[in-house]
Amino acid sequence: MAIETATPVIELRHVDKHYGPLHVLRDINLSVAKGEVLVVIGPSGSGKSTMCRTINRLETIDSGEILIEGTPLPQEGKELAALRAKVGMVFQSFNLFAHKTILQNVTMGPIEVLHTPREQAEAEAMELLRRVGVDSQAAKVPAQLSGGQQQRVAIARSLAMHPTAMLFDEPTSALDPEMINEVLAVMVELAQEGMTMVVVTHEMNFARRVANRVVFMADGQIVEQNSPDEFFDHPQSQRAKDFLESIKGH
Amino acid sequence: MGVTEVFTTFGDVYLRSVLSTWLMTAVCFAGGLALGILVTVLRVSPVKPLRVAGDVYVQLFRNIPTVSLLVIFVYALPYLGATLSYRTCLLACVILVVSSFASENFMSGINAIGVGQIEAARSIGLTFVQIVRLIVIPQSLRTTVLPMTNLLIATLLTTAMGSQVPLTPPELTGMVNYVNSRSVAGISAFIVSAICYAGTSVVLGWLGNKLDEKVRIVR
Repeated sequence: MAIETATPVIELRHVDKHYGPLHVLRDINLSVAKGEVLVVIGPSGSGKSTMCRTINRLETIDSGEILIEGTPLPQEGKELAALRAKVGMVFQSFNLFAHKTILQNVTMGPIEVLHTPREQAEAEAMELLRRVGVDSQAAKVPAQLSGGQQQRVAIARSLAMHPTAMLFDEPTSALDPEMINEVLAVMVELAQEGMTMVVVTHEMNFARRVANRVVFMADGQIVEQNSPDEFFDHPQSQRAKDFLESIKGH
Repeated sequence: MGVTEVFTTFGDVYLRSVLSTWLMTAVCFAGGLALGILVTVLRVSPVKPLRVAGDVYVQLFRNIPTVSLLVIFVYALPYLGATLSYRTCLLACVILVVSSFASENFMSGINAIGVGQIEAARSIGLTFVQIVRLIVIPQSLRTTVLPMTNLLIATLLTTAMGSQVPLTPPELTGMVNYVNSRSVAGISAFIVSAICYAGTSVVLGWLGNKLDEKVRIVR
């Protein structure tokens, strides 16, 4: 697919982060073009989730710079909130609002942040819920849905904000095996529609099928990045070779 | 003087004192909740001095006996140029104490929300104030109905502090003095007041349980 050479949607420049003595992100440089699907893989503790979370500043960074569509990420307050609204985020543990119905979970952002009229927000939300296949559950509360359904609602909730990019932080890791595919199917569809995506995942088949680029992280560093076929068939670094060997058979 | 005689002789004053107790309870609980929410918002705010101020507030008013607070309000404040009516002093003291306990309840409700939902709220662009208004307060209110019911009953019982200052009409405990200074009812006057307190508490407890069943958040 054609990737525009214009300003990257997401750009990280020399990003460093410590947790106390632990150096969790080491000089991360990364740019994600419009419409690109970037899959981040690596052993646990490699910093891939942390990196994902720095992009909408759920994690702060010690030094370096993060730009969204060329604009540096604001520190605090309204500007940061406005910027976050443009970058959707899907979490491992769904994180739906427990006291709201499925429909209200999806309409809250548009109504409160974008000031969309309620009727329009609800119509759009129902359309999104139909797209992810949970429209029949609209009146229920999150606890009444399966994990897979909840995660699809979480994706709809993000999409309702018309984001310019979406971050997925291990979106299928908390799901029972039979529910993983229903969530991945929604993500594949999103990718095919041209959504800019950063996906932290252990789903290698998904990476191979959908990713434009695979980024391999270890010990807080980007060790290697390549097209999925190149990466999986001809890994360059020993770390990547070891990692791919260790997950074989999955 | 038996219990029934106390009723027949002082029935109308008792009615007014029950209503007075209920009204003070309602005012103190509503005021305590509102102030408690405010203090809790300070305690979870991103600004450290505000968090510290909120914590200090709670430690202060949770750990001083209400009667000491009342003595300070009635006898010490006039030296600072603030002479408040007895009723105002009483209401203010109970509200301060109730708000600090209410804030502790709210904090436990907030801890039950989990950081994930707050992160999700931030990631769709909600501001701190919106998150507090839309997520934190509704959820912590709905998960703390039972402890708040306890607090409401404690508020009812704490209004008995009104017996330590002259009030017209007296509340239920002051009513015991009122009755016993006008006739020889002895323990009967206490029993009548106790029945009123207990009856009210049982009803409030039942209502609290019903409300909890209705609004509890399934997780």
